[in-house]
Amino acid sequence: MSAVIPFHRVNVLTGIKSAKLIEDAPQYGNLIQKAKRPLLVLGPLLSEWSLDGKLLMEYALDIAKTGNIPICATAQTKGKMVELGVEPDSVYDAVEIVNALKDPDWKGVRKEGNHDLVIFFGVRSDLEEQCLSVLKHFAFNHLKTMTLDKYYFPHANYSLPNFKKDVKWQSFLESLIHNLKKGE
Amino acid sequence: MADYVLNRVGACGIAWGAMSQKAASIGTGCNRLGVPVLLGPHSSKYRRLYLSRKEEDDWRVMDARKREIVDSGEPSPEHIAYVAETKEKAMPMIAKLCIRKNDTPQGRAIKLNHYISLYKKYIAKGLPEDLHLFVRRDADIPLVYKKEVRAHLQEIGWQPKEPVGLPTFIGTYPSKVPLDAVIH
Repeated sequence: MSAVIPFHRVNVLTGIKSAKLIEDAPQYGNLIQKAKRPLLVLGPLLSEWSLDGKLLMEYALDIAKTGNIPICATAQTKGKMVELGVEPDSVYDAVEIVNALKDPDWKGVRKEGNHDLVIFFGVRSDLEEQCLSVLKHFAFNHLKTMTLDKYYFPHANYSLPNFKKDVKWQSFLESLIHNLKKGE
Repeated sequence: MADYVLNRVGACGIAWGAMSQKAASIGTGCNRLGVPVLLGPHSSKYRRLYLSRKEEDDWRVMDARKREIVDSGEPSPEHIAYVAETKEKAMPMIAKLCIRKNDTPQGRAIKLNHYISLYKKYIAKGLPEDLHLFVRRDADIPLVYKKEVRAHLQEIGWQPKEPVGLPTFIGTYPSKVPLDAVIH
């Protein structure tokens, strides 16, 4: 059981395993770079939130570009992405992509094989928690999960803490992008 | 009854909002009658969905007129119980879940008109990615989008397919119900 209280408090009892809390951006960057086939699942909240005037969607697209991570655009995020000049690799919704990721024989969004690291960013917290729970229980053999949202998600493998100030979150994301660029 | 409604009646149920067990069970009741249901994001807590993977799944049905199993290749309905992340995603999904294999060309054109219009309004500016799966013949294309859809279908190498006359699942699996029972 984790000692950190998550933002979303329904269906969060994790049994004996909970998310590893990571506050260090280089460590996060290393985990992403070690993954052979990561996947970035982007949610609609990225078009609504911004940090210091810059949309979170732009941070997410920077992470995808520097880390060479394929993107799955859920809900209505494709429109905003195309506006910013990026074509997503797939447009499955959150429940659809999780349904596909559960299957170890799925070919992945680029048909190169199923993914070994799935990064969630910008999905509403209750749905994201449920999606992470599904992958934790049914896909633990072949993939790990990670979140970039500013809340702690106990069902993920790796999660950020509850950032009280957006400045810290912004600094983390910028540091992560910088680390991914260095490791290119 | 459920077989008739699922294959021939273009209906879709919606259960949205802060979910209660009563609302979730009403959605399940719709499923028992053969009506696909679109649920809100809170419904993910109840952990009961009936999803498909349109590229991989088996879309064969029995054509009761010809008395043979045909592969329509058409995911209709795509899911039977689905959770939509946002209302913007829900709108075109409702139109898509109303498509059935035995639609007349006029009926299919109306449904595709709704699907494309809602997609353009809420998701992105272009055409839906899976549109080619629902266009059987040229007559199915709505008049308003004829030019655009024809160009898109030609680009991807779409081929027309035969519509299914009297689709049913009776006869595709061992059952005590004879095939004649579904022919009126």
